[in-house]
Amino acid sequence: MEWSIGESSERYTAKLTDSEGTLSLSGLTSEGVEQAHGEVSISRDSQAGRLLVEVNGRATFAHFAKVGDSWWIHLDGRIHVVNGHEPGSADAGAGEGGLTAPMPGTILEVHVTAGQRVREGQTLLVMEAMKMEHRIQAPKAGEVISVNFAAGDRVDMGAILAEIGD
Amino acid sequence: MIPDWMHGAPRPFDTVLVANRGEIAVRVLRAAKESGLRGVAVFSDPDAGSLHVETADDSVHLPGASLAETYLNGEAIIEAARSTGAQAIHPGFGFLSERADFANAVKAAGLIWIGPPAGAIDTMGDKISARRRMIESGVPVIPGEEIAISESSDHLGVLAAAAARVGYPLLLKASAGGGGKGMRAVHEPKMLRTEYEAAAREATAAFGDGTVYVERLLTGARHVEIQVLADSLGNCVHLNERDCSLQRRHQKVIEEAPSPAVTPAIRAAMGDAAVQAAKAVDYEGAGTVEFLLSDRGEFFFLEMNTRLQVEHPVTEMITGVDLVQKQFEVAAGMPLGLTQYDIGITGHAMEARIYAEDPSKGFLPAIGDLAMWRAPAGPGIRVDTGVREGDAVTVDFDPMLAKLIVHAPTRTAAARRLDNALANLRALGVTTNIGFLRQMAQHPDFTSGGITTDYLDSSDIANFAEPEPDPATLVAIAAAASRLGLDRAGTAGAATSTADEHTGHAGDPFRTLTRSFP
Repeated sequence: MEWSIGESSERYTAKLTDSEGTLSLSGLTSEGVEQAHGEVSISRDSQAGRLLVEVNGRATFAHFAKVGDSWWIHLDGRIHVVNGHEPGSADAGAGEGGLTAPMPGTILEVHVTAGQRVREGQTLLVMEAMKMEHRIQAPKAGEVISVNFAAGDRVDMGAILAEIGD
Repeated sequence: MIPDWMHGAPRPFDTVLVANRGEIAVRVLRAAKESGLRGVAVFSDPDAGSLHVETADDSVHLPGASLAETYLNGEAIIEAARSTGAQAIHPGFGFLSERADFANAVKAAGLIWIGPPAGAIDTMGDKISARRRMIESGVPVIPGEEIAISESSDHLGVLAAAAARVGYPLLLKASAGGGGKGMRAVHEPKMLRTEYEAAAREATAAFGDGTVYVERLLTGARHVEIQVLADSLGNCVHLNERDCSLQRRHQKVIEEAPSPAVTPAIRAAMGDAAVQAAKAVDYEGAGTVEFLLSDRGEFFFLEMNTRLQVEHPVTEMITGVDLVQKQFEVAAGMPLGLTQYDIGITGHAMEARIYAEDPSKGFLPAIGDLAMWRAPAGPGIRVDTGVREGDAVTVDFDPMLAKLIVHAPTRTAAARRLDNALANLRALGVTTNIGFLRQMAQHPDFTSGGITTDYLDSSDIANFAEPEPDPATLVAIAAAASRLGLDRAGTAGAATSTADEHTGHAGDPFRTLTRSFP
């Protein structure tokens, strides 16, 4: 299994060594390159949804839940998402220049047409989700390759609203 | 059965219907239960299994897919009260809480309306008439102008002329807006058209009115509001202020009481003005008068919210007054039983609003299932929520999951308690603003007490990014959990954990000890 953390596309692998139910980190790679790492060992806890984690000799609890291919982890007062990937699989949703709907909602305004050049940060579309307006802005300067919806259209989360090329 | 405390009241009732959902419905239904009243919930399809329905003694299904058919359907709600024997209706906040016609319909049906008279809602609900009434009553207001927009006229010309007289930067408000909807800041004349159109659209989508109010945007000011309580016998007191300056696009983020910027002299003057404002509209029940407090200590009336407020718990914490209980008493026609002299301030309280939203993506609302929801507990910690572990967070409703309220002897202690309680709120499966709130609670700009209303909108949100985690630990945990086969146990093992299945809290500490550490 390969792992990525949050929104980052960096892929990790972990090698674990099992010693009487305690799993110790014995190898970590990032993008295929071996990384230095501290001492991490993990053991099962009697409470469901919780693991005992020891990092460099300090013991703490991690709470977790699995949703889809992602592990949501609460550790030391912070919440993280670690996504699992089949080794070698492509990043989902990281299409080049694709702008996806962050939420299901309705398109209110379309400000650009295909072929038009846009600045970074320029508003391309305005959509309404949860009764609030959201501006969909160009992540980079470039040419609009396509605009896939018109004002009034309902869109699902993740729908590709527009594409921008160089 | 009429509870003992209500005996002899002019308008006694024993059953109250709560015309709302989510955490506020739970809050009011719990208060009803504690007061010996029967509580009735209403619910739409997506809420059939929700916490507020579970909390109620009885519940009525409101069929239909739209809000107009369900939580905004006054007729169906009044019918629900009739069919369940409820003599009183509590509207919570949002939905029908500030609809004078609904208040009148409730009374016309022979039921008790737990809220102010329709006339007060009407006057205060329209920012233009509210302002006029405040000027008449001697309550200070911000420079501004009202504009009645009609479809056919040259409304942009009229708007531009008014904007020029008021001066930039200015705030455009749809008269019927609220909660930041239909409200837009305009910093220069060329943005007037775009912002007006956005404001008008938001207001129409959410409320259905097109009148616009233009007022000077005071920069570097604080949002300070006064809680008032009035009975139907002419008594009115204030319960000190709440500071809600930490806001993003007019949505409050962390509220606190008392305000770090309010001196006893300002408090007394602002409290008097708030009582005056309430009396000017013959107010009854719990209400909030919002002011902008300038850096020179001057304050101006913003608006009056003629209902319970989201952030009411911070006032309850520092005054010890249960505002919902007081609403019940006032609705029953009982006297307040409080004089201004009775109301003090004990310690400091803060409230953080827990939203299903992603601060790293422009605070976009997030959805998902709450695979784990374990709220913190302990001295001085209160969690008002409408969700439980396993509940789905959808796009159907407002993305506020909970309010985390803390109370401590000092402001510094309260900020630390808030940060620590946030750290112990385990909400997994849905992206929330908890990490952002922790960054805020720790931030020197916040702990120094110097936040003004423009603070967040003029800050780079990246300044509040959470610290980078250690990838080795996280990857090792995910890999170990996979290896241990814990993904096959289902979501958070709710059935086997010691968490209370109703609240998601780990229950009795002794029980936890015996079960967790055999």
